[in-house]
Amino acid sequence: MIDDYTRLLEATAELEDKEASDAAITKLIMHLKSAGRMKMLPAIARELRKVAARRHALRPYVEVAHEKEAAAALRAAAQMGIIARHAHVNHSLIHGWRARSKGKLIDHSAKRALLHIYQKVTV
Amino acid sequence: MQSIIERIEKEIASWAPEAGAEETGVVRATGDGIAEIDGLSKAAMSEMVLFDPTFDRTLAEALKDPLPIYGLVLNLEEDGVRAVILGDASKIHEGMLVRRLNRLLSIPVGDSLVGRVVNPLGEAVDGKGPTGATQTRPIESEAYGVIDRASVNVPLHTGVKAVDAMIPIGRGQRELIIGDRGTGKTSIAIDTIINQKSEPAATRPICIYVAIGQKESKTAKLVAELEERGAMDYSIVVTAPASAPAALQFLAPFAGAAIGEHFMEQGKDALVVYDDLSKQAVAYRQMSLLLRRPPGREAYPGDIFYLHSRLLERAAKLSKEKGGGSLTALPIIETQEGDVSAYIPTNVISITDGQIYLEANLFNKGQRPAINVGISVSRVGSAAQTKAMKKVAGKIKLELAQFRELEAFMQFSSDLDAETKKRIDAGRRMTEILNQGRGVPLPFEMEAAIIFAATNGYLDSFSPEEVGAVEKKLQDYLAREAGGVLIAIKESKEIREESEKTLREKLDAFIARYAKLQG
Repeated sequence: MIDDYTRLLEATAELEDKEASDAAITKLIMHLKSAGRMKMLPAIARELRKVAARRHALRPYVEVAHEKEAAAALRAAAQMGIIARHAHVNHSLIHGWRARSKGKLIDHSAKRALLHIYQKVTV
Repeated sequence: MQSIIERIEKEIASWAPEAGAEETGVVRATGDGIAEIDGLSKAAMSEMVLFDPTFDRTLAEALKDPLPIYGLVLNLEEDGVRAVILGDASKIHEGMLVRRLNRLLSIPVGDSLVGRVVNPLGEAVDGKGPTGATQTRPIESEAYGVIDRASVNVPLHTGVKAVDAMIPIGRGQRELIIGDRGTGKTSIAIDTIINQKSEPAATRPICIYVAIGQKESKTAKLVAELEERGAMDYSIVVTAPASAPAALQFLAPFAGAAIGEHFMEQGKDALVVYDDLSKQAVAYRQMSLLLRRPPGREAYPGDIFYLHSRLLERAAKLSKEKGGGSLTALPIIETQEGDVSAYIPTNVISITDGQIYLEANLFNKGQRPAINVGISVSRVGSAAQTKAMKKVAGKIKLELAQFRELEAFMQFSSDLDAETKKRIDAGRRMTEILNQGRGVPLPFEMEAAIIFAATNGYLDSFSPEEVGAVEKKLQDYLAREAGGVLIAIKESKEIREESEKTLREKLDAFIARYAKLQG
């Protein structure tokens, strides 16, 4: 039952409409009160936190090795279906960029390439 | 140095960024060798995943420890997957990137594994360097169907007289070895492996010994014994010791089966010993409980029967069209206090084509191997038994069963008639003849000759206490004086009229000489 409530709220949150979300939560609390199930609220909140953490982990994320590569990286990632607002600088990439979203990873970094070559040469 | 530089330059020149996207997940939680992963929505059951330790490190840090850790997807859930970690679980952390490998768990197979000790992932653990195997094979595969199989008709000689005479095993059969701890289960399996040395190289089975949840010292001792006896020349040891993660202990028998199937599909014979499946079941129970699968009887998961049936069903004798190879399975099950009606023993008994039941009482009485003939059975092996063995050992099982009944009766009655006494003495003599120490498997022709002597009354003049010593002398005598007959039996696989005549002459001569020596 907690799962059902969580999923309903999750679907509402997907709309990213604050008013709709607030209304949904108000209605849920009213429903829980009338059904005498207010004790479920902490569990629902816990589940929602898990969902939020999962979404955060799988959110669109573009990294570049240098700031100057950001625009090109965002464009390239968008062409491949990963749309992010801005790119994060990660010097460990050495050169190039990588993007991930919802379990999809595109890695065009020099670090990946060098590791690949290292593994091929040493094995 | 120049060649290394050239190689690196070649790799750099040929490198191009991978255009496509790959599917990845993120570790949400980890513990007890299990990782909960967000994402990987398209992952398949039993698919391999790779925990990438290099993803969130700098290149310098990544090069210090670039080795990936593999995982096996075992639970597909609505919002992620659960995977068992097939390596050092302490290196897995929350937020770690997990890559899909788009392939089912596979291991390297091939001739280069022969003589090696490997783990269930096919990695060498004997300190002799990589195995060099280039072919791979999925650990899980579907068993051959009815059309692809032939009936079991070639014997697999164990070198253990009691087994070869009364519970014969055929190539492609699944024969369970069951008994309490310390009753000699492993000894029968190891003797069987050692005995294959007496087979011609062309038909000698490749032997795969799978050690599950055992002490590493025991496995090391066993490998040393196999090496000393020259049996590692045609053997492979797969080990998942007690210190290995439960996932590896669960996978070990499947790895052994995959290696064996490779040889079977090449038209060769293979023998695989699973020592033991009780420990595999315990490892699978541990994994299943950690994966939050519902527990059933004795807390084992509901699919524990399927776990063993799909493994043992892979043993087969293939039809000629499929190459005629075979995979014989000797699973071992350890019972508690002789209880064969426990969950796992009954499951495996019902799956296999017979069982060799070893009893602690018989072991303590000094009988080796401590086989309880009454409840040991081979359901298909008799079809594969050689004519020679059928001829000499036809009635032994019945006679021994009768002897056991009379022996029980004897405890209540001290006054026995002559006929009963005679039967009891004959039973005792036969028990002594079938007694055989560990590590001394006999070639099939020698077994046939000894049993021929016993069943044709040549040893009736000796008391049961003397028979053991007489048998040893007889073995030496036959090896020395009756080589021709033994070769004839070995080649024809039967005791023909002329062989029988010569064998009788040799036995008469032995008895006369022995009696003369005893004076």
